[in-house]
Amino acid sequence: MAKPQIDPRGPRFGAAITATALAVTIYLGLDASTEAAAFALLLVLTALFAIGAIFGTSKHPYAWLFKTFVRPRLGAPTELEDAAPPQFAQAVGLFVAGVGVVLHLAGVEYGLVAAAAAAFVASFLNSVFNYCLGCQMYLGLKRLKVIR
Amino acid sequence: MDQTSRLLLVLGVITLATILGLIWRTTQGRAKQLKSGLQVDLKELGATKNGLPVTAFGERITFLQFSSEFCATCKSTARVFGELEEHSSDVLHIEVDITNRLDLANKYNILQTPTTLVLDKRGVVQSRIGGAPKQNTLEEQLGTFVI
Repeated sequence: MAKPQIDPRGPRFGAAITATALAVTIYLGLDASTEAAAFALLLVLTALFAIGAIFGTSKHPYAWLFKTFVRPRLGAPTELEDAAPPQFAQAVGLFVAGVGVVLHLAGVEYGLVAAAAAAFVASFLNSVFNYCLGCQMYLGLKRLKVIR
Repeated sequence: MDQTSRLLLVLGVITLATILGLIWRTTQGRAKQLKSGLQVDLKELGATKNGLPVTAFGERITFLQFSSEFCATCKSTARVFGELEEHSSDVLHIEVDITNRLDLANKYNILQTPTTLVLDKRGVVQSRIGGAPKQNTLEEQLGTFVI
């Protein structure tokens, strides 16, 4: 059975938006007066990660943005990629953002900022350096028996 | 926290991520010489090529590529090796999916995919390439195996 294929530039475009939103989250989360806004933003990002992790990145709103506004200006991709690796990256993002939500609700100071910073680094590397979380982490997590 | 400190912290995180990315990029796709003299066991590997089990190494060089399910760069890496193989009959490319072969991941200490082991004609590991190999890495590797 052929695995679903996607334009590899799509997830990188999405990661750029995510990274920008996370940078804003860090900024807002650092001050008590805007912490509520940071939390709201992180909740939205967590929900978006959940869509990507559960339904795949092709069902993600950013994929629609990419298909509608970006891809027509880029032309055809030189090659397609499996859809599974970016979906794995979304699951990692969901986990990290979810930890941020829980830490914030538990009243841990700067827990939200720390989680947003970790997620920022991952999505920034994905977008700018084409870093692939699935390539780097999946096997290691499996060997450590973190995932089955 | 005042605005300047917040902006500086955000810039700090961006700088940190950039440094991490640059470091990561230099580690990727380069060959590291291995002196372990580890002999690859084709039976244990259980690799197939075009539906048939692989029973012999390349006459000059074998690129043993380990891939996994959630690996975006494995496919393009396999394509590069496939092209090399087409151009020279004494080069063999074997791809093994180790998603469910943790025994192999542990034996060859694979942490990331793709990881490629470069084998001589007897199947002894000479070097390893983590990540998608750079073009000059491949040329170097092929160059060291000229008969």
